[in-house]
Amino acid sequence: MRVAAVILLMLVLVGCTNAPTGPTISLSALRPLPEQQEPAVVPLRVSVAAVISPRSTVESYQPLLAYLSDRLGRPVELVQRRTYAETNALIEQGQVDLAFVCTSAYIVGHSLFGMELLVAPQVHDSAVYHSLLIVPAQSTARRMADLRGKVFAFTDPMSYSGRVYPTALVRQLGSSPETFFGRTFYTYNHDNAIRAVAEGVADGAAVDSLVYDYAVERDPALAQQVRVIYQSPPAGIPPVVVNPNIRPQLRATLRDLLLGMANDPDGQRALQALGIQRFVEIDDHAYDTVRDLMRAVGPLTP
Amino acid sequence: MRVVAPTWTTVSTKRRFERLWRAASAVGIRTKILGIVLALVALMGVSATIQVRGMLSDALGTQLKERGISVTRDLAARSTDLILVNDRYALYQLLRDTLINNPDVRYAFIVDPQGQVIAHTFNGGFPADLLTANSAAATDHHHTLSLATDEGPMWDTAVPIFDGRAGTARVGISDVSVHSTVGAATSQLLLTTIIVAAIGISAATLLTWVLTRPILDLVRAAHSVGRADFSQRTPHWANDEIGELAEAFNAMTAALAKADAERAEREQLRAQYVSGVIAAQEDERKRIARELHDSTSQSLTSLLIGLRALTDHCEQPDIRQRAEDLRLVASHTLDDVHTLALQLRPSVLDDLGLPAALARHVADCRRRHELQIDLAITGLSDRRLPPEIETALYRIVQESLGNVVRHAHAQTASVLIECSEHKVRAIIEDDGIGFDSAVISATDGHLGLYSIRERAELLGGSLMIETEPSHGASLFVEIPLPSQEVDDA
Repeated sequence: MRVAAVILLMLVLVGCTNAPTGPTISLSALRPLPEQQEPAVVPLRVSVAAVISPRSTVESYQPLLAYLSDRLGRPVELVQRRTYAETNALIEQGQVDLAFVCTSAYIVGHSLFGMELLVAPQVHDSAVYHSLLIVPAQSTARRMADLRGKVFAFTDPMSYSGRVYPTALVRQLGSSPETFFGRTFYTYNHDNAIRAVAEGVADGAAVDSLVYDYAVERDPALAQQVRVIYQSPPAGIPPVVVNPNIRPQLRATLRDLLLGMANDPDGQRALQALGIQRFVEIDDHAYDTVRDLMRAVGPLTP
Repeated sequence: MRVVAPTWTTVSTKRRFERLWRAASAVGIRTKILGIVLALVALMGVSATIQVRGMLSDALGTQLKERGISVTRDLAARSTDLILVNDRYALYQLLRDTLINNPDVRYAFIVDPQGQVIAHTFNGGFPADLLTANSAAATDHHHTLSLATDEGPMWDTAVPIFDGRAGTARVGISDVSVHSTVGAATSQLLLTTIIVAAIGISAATLLTWVLTRPILDLVRAAHSVGRADFSQRTPHWANDEIGELAEAFNAMTAALAKADAERAEREQLRAQYVSGVIAAQEDERKRIARELHDSTSQSLTSLLIGLRALTDHCEQPDIRQRAEDLRLVASHTLDDVHTLALQLRPSVLDDLGLPAALARHVADCRRRHELQIDLAITGLSDRRLPPEIETALYRIVQESLGNVVRHAHAQTASVLIECSEHKVRAIIEDDGIGFDSAVISATDGHLGLYSIRERAELLGGSLMIETEPSHGASLFVEIPLPSQEVDDA
């Protein structure tokens, strides 16, 4: 009898595990969330256009932002948006103080609301970059003409290297992207465009050479999966810009800080993380060739 | 204490076992088998249900927890870019989709690195205390807690998004479905148990019917045999042990029936023989009595007349004296012959009936043995009993009084004859030394009582003796009367 009772008790106890702990939370008693409080110290807001994926952006720009925060003595907030146009809107409305934009985004912003150049990064001792036409490693394509009827990945509608330049190439072949390619889609950053080609989702894409070099450097296996079949002539490198109405003092401070980074060990480390040598002053004329090409291609899909 | 305790336990267990055994043995086989079947089915069913319930609950609970973790990690991965580019609407859509595509998910929300909720699935507010109830460090893979909520226990999983740099994803997964699944499984199992129990009861009922029917037949047959009815035979239901028992029982009954028939035959033969002997004896006595009366008495009377004539005519006194002596001897002999004839077969019994014959015999006994004898006869004043019954009663009274005179040393005796419609009863009592009835009835050689019993039983009657040493004796004889006797009257 007693043995049977013990067995029954054990059987019952088997069923009773994982009893919750802590006070009971009522899921039906809902209260309004607290209002977002304005921080006591206004942070320096920095925007980075989605040249690379948001996650990579955070990882790459974190040392630079930390350096700025440290030197300025105020917090720095990274603000990201999905498209170049959204980033440009943030700059126009003064919601960000400093922005790293794409070449074509600058040209559009400059003509729309006078987006102002602050500095430009220098890579391999020059402030230029290229648009690279890439295909999967096993692809037989040798030039743009071979991609006729294939799937092509654009990065951003406003991107010079990702859309404007390949569109110009297609135009030279006497066609337009809509009819030339079997299908096109936007990846909204260059990382994803490289990955789309590497994984065979797209038969070809045009990407920022800086992004491509940086990506291959971080992940050498990518070089085995994609192949560069064409490199565009040099174009003005994506610049660092500010709103035209920025306080002149802050403008000067930021400019000096960025230009002086190469002379500071902490600054050098931050630059290294971004894969650039130093920031240099740049003139609007450096972007004239791109501006001409864009004017020829048109702002977006014609 | 260490010595006493086990002893007490053993005794108490033994007593409890005995009590249980008594209770179990008091119920019928049917109840026992039904009880065993029911107890086994119930024990199996309940223990299986408890076991399965426990295991199922555990397994489903673990699965649910794992699903909570995978849903949250998926949400964290997919929400990273949306958070970084501040796409709040897409983030909200993602949370809604998570909720819709996972019915067990009760809520999902995203907390930014500063601890502010930036998107959630609650409508019109956010539950107090939920935000702080769980958290995950940047290096955690996940952190799962079981939260007590007003909607029951909830697995709350927190997963850092982009190593915590984009915040934390939180998902609450309810175990309601687990409970309902476990509940459904439990009720299904219990239902199965009940059905199996019902089948078991039916099977057990059939089994007990099959088992107990031949036994009950045997019991009925045994009762019949007890009532000396050997005609009952138990049917042979099966070739098992009970079938063998039934066969053995039938063989025994048949043997008993045969033995009974033989015994009855022997008894009949014996009764015929005894009644023949008695009838022959009566006839012989009657013949001798008649002979004595007709021939011997006549001769003796002639002798007496001769001797009287001799006495009257003889001149010589010595011869006259001798003749007179001889005449007296002859006269006594004639009296003795008369008495002898009367004892052998009183003609008055045939001529005047039992009361007169008994009255005469009693009077004779009184006279000859100086014994005080009371005689009372009721119910026979205007009827005659069948001759064999009259003879039997007469002989019984004769034999009884003979015993009293010979052995009892009694002062008084009484004879009572009661005749009713269906039976006649004779009671012969004395105040003598009595005897040990057990010893007497066991002694075959005692012909007096044996012949009384024999005569009574030949006529379907019975003899009962009440006696104790030095307290006298009473004989009760009862003989049934044949029914046609009543019709004749």
